[in-house]
Amino acid sequence: MTSRAEQSLGYVILGVFSLIALLPVAGIVFTALQDPDGFAAFGSIDGLHFSNFTTAWDEANFGTYLKNSVFVTVVVVSVSSVLSILAGYAFGLMRFRGSTVLFYVFLLGLMVPMEAIIVPLYYEMRDNWKLQNTYWSIILPQIATSVAFGTFWMRTYFRSVPRSLVEAARLDGASSWFTLWRVLLPLAKPAVLTMGVLLFMWTWNEFLLVLVMITDDSKLTAPLGLSVFQGRNTSDLTLMAAGSVIVALPVVIVYVFLQRHFIRGMLSGAVKG
Amino acid sequence: MASVRFDAVGKRFGSVEAVRELSLEIADGEFMVLVGPSGSGKTTALRMLAGLEAISAGSIFIGDKRVNDVAPRERDIAMVFQDYALYPQMSVFDNLAFGLRRRKVASDEIKRRVEEAARVLDMSELLARKPGQLSGGQAQRVALGRALVREPQVFLMDEPLSNLDAKLRTQTRGEIRRLQQEVETTTVYVTHDQVEAMTMGDRIAVMNDGRLEQVGTPEELYERPANRFVAGFIGSPSMSFFTGPEVGLTLPRNGAVVGVRPEHVRPWREGLIGPLKGRVAFVEALGRETFVGVDVGEARLVVFEEGRAVRDVGDEIEFGLVESGLRYFSSESGAAL
Repeated sequence: MTSRAEQSLGYVILGVFSLIALLPVAGIVFTALQDPDGFAAFGSIDGLHFSNFTTAWDEANFGTYLKNSVFVTVVVVSVSSVLSILAGYAFGLMRFRGSTVLFYVFLLGLMVPMEAIIVPLYYEMRDNWKLQNTYWSIILPQIATSVAFGTFWMRTYFRSVPRSLVEAARLDGASSWFTLWRVLLPLAKPAVLTMGVLLFMWTWNEFLLVLVMITDDSKLTAPLGLSVFQGRNTSDLTLMAAGSVIVALPVVIVYVFLQRHFIRGMLSGAVKG
Repeated sequence: MASVRFDAVGKRFGSVEAVRELSLEIADGEFMVLVGPSGSGKTTALRMLAGLEAISAGSIFIGDKRVNDVAPRERDIAMVFQDYALYPQMSVFDNLAFGLRRRKVASDEIKRRVEEAARVLDMSELLARKPGQLSGGQAQRVALGRALVREPQVFLMDEPLSNLDAKLRTQTRGEIRRLQQEVETTTVYVTHDQVEAMTMGDRIAVMNDGRLEQVGTPEELYERPANRFVAGFIGSPSMSFFTGPEVGLTLPRNGAVVGVRPEHVRPWREGLIGPLKGRVAFVEALGRETFVGVDVGEARLVVFEEGRAVRDVGDEIEFGLVESGLRYFSSESGAAL
């Protein structure tokens, strides 16, 4: 049992940290709603100026950038999720020769940062694959890194499933394929959704890869679009803030919708059902 | 229905030999209990029969068919798991129907069989529920039902009662036995609980350290244990062991280890072997009877007294042995003499 004093202290600490986390966000949202002409940083309140969003949207061409981002993210997240589920199932529940070594190779993908491979990857894409400045040049590498994480994630999940459940299905006459999709996957919903949210976030926010691979403005994703917009608009902070909110909003929406599952998924490894 | 035969079956996990040269015949319709302490290889033997573990040596037959290389789903067996292994997202009905649907049984036949099993197990009102909404006992019945509807050649049960409380366990024990007698399906039942083994099995196979120690009816194992291990494992409280010189007796087989069950160690009266004197080490008063642990020299014997005996730890007690109850074992090999 925690005493009342301990509980209050807990709330104070949590409150302070929430404040630290939320203050910059609140600052940006606040700035985005300021009067663009009479703006003083974190300053005056003279009504809410939602028109900043439409101005930013039109000026920065966010429609195109967001469309690109949605396309890239949807392809990366859905393809990597399917591949990760399949690979995680194999590594988690099947016994086969070389599985340990292969798994370490997957882990390598998780451990090497994009910065370390970006230069050779660029030449590879440009010279050998002739994919530079195409969506593929940002989709394929991101699928590769996502599958590394996703496989690790799903393998951990499948390992936590009681073995007897899989064995019961086998004895009942279910194939491996059927066991995966009909017995295990319905139970894996929190784990799969959490993986989806994480992959979505990482893919949506990916900056470096797009910066290096894409030169055509019409193919840029939203974070890059924001950066281009910033380059053109150094003086107008309110528009910049509005643009940032627009770019960040989809991630927030996805998180809010899935947060219940997200938290359950994050806990599923730690707390036994 | 079918008989089951283990023919010199072995299983290795790396350098560990989990099962060694297991040869065992289980007759058609028989209820065979595999019993033994943890790590004795009983569950491994069952899992090899199910096809969940590969066989390292020897052969397993179901009926006349050698099943070493037959996939689990083609062995026509049904298994009840210790943790029940019910599919959490499916209703009880779907859990029961799962195996039948996989085997392309017609849907009205599935309905008939599931309802029949639900009736037999008295769980018709549970069919719409999910496993998460069931109590331990109910989940247990569903697990049994899932095996039952399949109408398999052999039932395999892996410690199915170990997650139930004591009262429910006794009740379910009777229920499983009754069901098995009704459907007459060959059953292999694994447990570490010798009470379950004694009350349920037509025959019992006692395993220890990967080896089969003895196979026989409960009575045979109790009355004529093949060696010290079986003698000590079967019966509760277990058999006491001592040598003649330890307790100051001259017994017919000199040098042998003597085993005696509590019911053959009684407070002193004429006609018993003795008297022996010892000090009370513990008292287990169960109401109808009392077991008194007595230290005599190096040996500890358990004395059986009717009713509630008033004894205190440290008391001196005089007792004797019933001659017909003495069993002799080789002091080297432990084999019965």
